Amino acid sequence: MRDWPKLVGEKLKDLRLSRDERRQVIAELAGHLEDLYAEHLAQGMSEQDAFRLCVSQFDQENRIARKIERAKEGIMNNRTKVLWLPGLATLVSSSVLLICLQGVPYFQPRIYWIDGGAVGFDLRWLVLLPICGAIGADLSRRAGGRRSVSLGAALFPAIVMLAAFSIFLPVGLLEGNSFLQHHLEYMAASALTWIVLPAVPLLVGALGGQMVVPQYK
Amino acid sequence: MAILTLLHEQPLYGFEIAKRIEERTAGSLRFTMASLYPMLYDLERRGSVKAHWEKNPVGRDRRYYSLTASGKKQLVPLRQEWRRFFEALESLAGLSHA
Repeated sequence: MRDWPKLVGEKLKDLRLSRDERRQVIAELAGHLEDLYAEHLAQGMSEQDAFRLCVSQFDQENRIARKIERAKEGIMNNRTKVLWLPGLATLVSSSVLLICLQGVPYFQPRIYWIDGGAVGFDLRWLVLLPICGAIGADLSRRAGGRRSVSLGAALFPAIVMLAAFSIFLPVGLLEGNSFLQHHLEYMAASALTWIVLPAVPLLVGALGGQMVVPQYK
Repeated sequence: MAILTLLHEQPLYGFEIAKRIEERTAGSLRFTMASLYPMLYDLERRGSVKAHWEKNPVGRDRRYYSLTASGKKQLVPLRQEWRRFFEALESLAGLSHA
């Protein structure tokens, strides 16, 4: 007995679809190959020749995978659905939350002066950030994203800030920006408040949501 | 159009669709897996066909495709278009007198 789903799964290992869609495509194509194989055998073909002819359906396996992806997804590819859009949702919700909190008179953010620069620390925002992380992770999981991808979507605001710091800090230093050269301690404190501190509650929200929602456990 | 026409008659699964097309065209039109399934998935995404899994008591479960109301609507102008196309070809090539 041939293991057709295993064969199709190996041939279409590059197929980038949600887990459920991928499972269905593999099951369907495996069924097709099984029928084709049975038909070849019924026509008197040897098992070896019948199998070879079935496998030849995958001569251009990458092309088949891409064609299936395009047909299934249309304009929006899977990565957009499981990472970019949920990540954007986390970024927008966390930004809107921060803006809204500015109008709340209670527990106003603390400003610390470090190395000649002002660093804001808004505890209210950090306490509420797990909600944004949970939203991003949940949207990603609903779209079929793996756990690691959903965590990426939840951490998106921190990743964006990390990317911004990674680009602008070295470029600024190379260009001889005197402020950056003389206020590295301030830059480190800014990185801490915009990257590390938000990343923790975002991650807590994402992991917490996955523990609460039964199908994500 | 071949797929929509077949599905207009009855729901079929992928392998059956390929077989019927091959049989009805006496082997002139053959669908490989690489051409058939992307086409079916595209039709499904566009809402022309819908699919559902059916238990198969003697083997692997089948994914049956059937025509949607939107697919049925598309089929009428599509048939007219193809009829006009073949009439034009016939008049150009003089196939009826060949």
